[in-house]
Amino acid sequence: MVTSLSEFGEQLRSGISVFSRTGEADFLDDPGFNQLARSLFRLQFEANSAYCAWCQSRGINPDNLSCWQQIPLVPTEAFKEVDLTCFEPGAASTCFHSSGTTGHRTSRHWHSQQSLAIYEESLAGWFEPFLLKEEVQEEALDLRESDGRWAILSLTPPPEVVPHSSLAHMIGTTIRRFGAKDSLFAGMLDSNGDWALDSDRLLFALRRSLCGNRPLILMGTAFNFVHFLDLAEQRNLRYRLAVGSRLMETGGYKGRSRVLSPEALHSELSRRLGVPPSHIITEYGMCELSSQAYSHVAGGKPERRFRFPPWGRIRVLSPETGVDVEDGATGTLGVIDLANVWSVLGVQTGDLAIRHGDGFQLVGRVPQSEPRGCSLLTV
Amino acid sequence: MHLPALPNLFLADLPPEAPLTPSLVRDACISVKRNRTQWLLPRRTAELVDLIAYNADRWLQPDYPLRRMALQAGAAELGFSAPTMARGLDAFFRQLTHDHLMGWLTQDLGDSRRLDEFSAPAAELRHGRLALARGPDLLAQVAAGNLPVSTLSLMVAGLLLRSGQFIKCSQRSTILPRLFAHSLAELEPKLGACLELASWPGGNEALEGSMMGESDCLVVQGSDAVVEDLRRRMPSTCRCVAYGHRLSFGFVAGEVLGTFLAKKVAERAAIDVAAWNQLGCLSPHVFYVEDTGSLAPEGFAAALSEALARLENAEPRGALRPDEAAAIDQRRSLHQLRAAHHRSLHRDAITVPRGAFFEAPTAETQVWSSEGSTAWTVVYEADPSFRTSCLNRFIYVKPCRNLADALRRAEVVRGQVSTVGIAATEGRSQELALELARWGVSRVCPLGRMQDPPLAWRHDGRPSLAELVQWTDWEQASS
Repeated sequence: MVTSLSEFGEQLRSGISVFSRTGEADFLDDPGFNQLARSLFRLQFEANSAYCAWCQSRGINPDNLSCWQQIPLVPTEAFKEVDLTCFEPGAASTCFHSSGTTGHRTSRHWHSQQSLAIYEESLAGWFEPFLLKEEVQEEALDLRESDGRWAILSLTPPPEVVPHSSLAHMIGTTIRRFGAKDSLFAGMLDSNGDWALDSDRLLFALRRSLCGNRPLILMGTAFNFVHFLDLAEQRNLRYRLAVGSRLMETGGYKGRSRVLSPEALHSELSRRLGVPPSHIITEYGMCELSSQAYSHVAGGKPERRFRFPPWGRIRVLSPETGVDVEDGATGTLGVIDLANVWSVLGVQTGDLAIRHGDGFQLVGRVPQSEPRGCSLLTV
Repeated sequence: MHLPALPNLFLADLPPEAPLTPSLVRDACISVKRNRTQWLLPRRTAELVDLIAYNADRWLQPDYPLRRMALQAGAAELGFSAPTMARGLDAFFRQLTHDHLMGWLTQDLGDSRRLDEFSAPAAELRHGRLALARGPDLLAQVAAGNLPVSTLSLMVAGLLLRSGQFIKCSQRSTILPRLFAHSLAELEPKLGACLELASWPGGNEALEGSMMGESDCLVVQGSDAVVEDLRRRMPSTCRCVAYGHRLSFGFVAGEVLGTFLAKKVAERAAIDVAAWNQLGCLSPHVFYVEDTGSLAPEGFAAALSEALARLENAEPRGALRPDEAAAIDQRRSLHQLRAAHHRSLHRDAITVPRGAFFEAPTAETQVWSSEGSTAWTVVYEADPSFRTSCLNRFIYVKPCRNLADALRRAEVVRGQVSTVGIAATEGRSQELALELARWGVSRVCPLGRMQDPPLAWRHDGRPSLAELVQWTDWEQASS
């Protein structure tokens, strides 16, 4: 029985690191996950007053909670107005914000050195099997550098420049853990403070990788990649990246570029970079979570069915009745993320998804509080 | 929706696989205009009024086959439960009486004979002036999505004005305009031949170009973007009458919140929330409640929730798409979380909340909602700022000191407000109506009738028949 969040965090971190080394996560089988979720729920219930109030209003407390499916989920919108944290004031050092459009409130997710260590273990532990492995083993070349590291190129600004971006922090972590020395960030802030590409740096890195015929991991948001496509169009650029190169794209435009459907974005990227769709992996993550889901393993069939790591389980709930939907049905996506140790483990994402076993397919965002009336329904 | 029971009279009756082409649309417009000249133009107002009233009477009969089809198929297409649909249809068709139709003509045109002959009300006659009004040759209509009645109302106007009509229905709701057109064609096939209905995804420049090229007046109901887009492409030979996005709210005066009356007021408010599932421009987003009554605004919110629960039994809201239900679910959760947070702050006033990193909203929030469904939700917020609802029977109740206070809070939507439903004593209503008019509201009505405007109401503050006609003035030689 764990008695503190620190102890819980340490145990989880060592469990994840065993998973990273061996691929084994027996401690997260059904009873194991249930027990961990219940212990974490108890600790958060005691330490997180806002979450405690929410759970009490739903009639749930540590003594009457028997299974993880009863854990109350907090809508991501709530991170915009209540501090959902177990830290004492002053104990948290880092705060991740959601990427809102100007003038909109953003979510806040607080972290300390200790919680960041878990965040990093969690992201690395699930990044590796999806991005650094190949689905088709017989063709498995050893694509890494001789020192076992990868050339990683990020289209986002570096974490020092955007300290509140969980994505930049995530990419920074993957570079530290898996990146070759010449990995770099080719994003920057423009004069308005918006994310933009540093085209010289980007093209330099692409050319260098082409010259050395070294496979590359290219990472960024969907709008980063659209900015890249616009640049490529403007300068009439077309590359054939080295075999084994792969892209990690994470959704979201927030009005920062023209919007392409995932299919159109991937086929354009495939055309411009010579990377097959099997090597374009979509990541699903948000600042309110400490674990991410991926669409498929590099080289595999790009089915766009996302899966979270064993320490994150999903629920797809009927918005009408609040009960889990059948396989193949649409509902709102909730995640129980054990790596959210010092915040809340149950998060209602605000996304609609179709359930496929322990994975899901994204359908879209739940419409937000925009004014509507009869005349806005013209189609 | 393809209805096998209906004959293929209109383009909208064709199965979805039948493709629409610009020339098909153009040919349809031309034949409607030809039929109109031959069969509709020579008709007299009195005959048309009788015919419309007779037809409306058929629609009010529970066993009228097209009505039954509308309740069934319409519920399936639009998501309204049959009782909700029936209430909406009854409210509309009850208006279509001989008296109301003649009243509408007199109100908008000054004299009900204006479309038949040179005529004038007394004030004009005194100056030796007469005038004749003419409707458009081809009145085109781009109809809005969810609420069918404004489309039907415009079809009635077109008929009174002897105009040929082309109705571009929203893809989401073709069924009621079609059934209404069929009911007219059933009575008089020649009248049916002066109407055409079709549906396609909005923004199709080729089809819309054909339609506008043949029309001399186009009525658009849609978002500002839709209106702007069509205006840009409209030929100069076509006049545009646009109805943009509007929203509405309610105001409850303190003096009607005595214990007995309050329940009645809440019941009327519930009717406004439930009518057409709150999806119309005339449906309330918020009720502002004066905090001077013997029942506090929170108490009114509770009474409203009870009334909505009762109404749900009689007129269920019906099923929603997952995204619509999720929008309600998400907003509910957020408000419930605020409510819980607020309660905990007050209960444990001594404990410093751990989440002291940034200021959480501290205004009181209370939520009442249907169990195990999203059927209805009432949110009371002490924060009086205006809020738009996610609709489908989701309503805010907010306190105010008086109407001026409420209007200050609603300043953000000033200029976009269609209707304010009020509950107040007779004496005070007059004063409130004046205050609302000066603020820019285009319609004031009693609570319980917000979604039920009279036929002759001035849509968005403009006379709807008068907007469509062209006049010929005849100044007589003085004798």
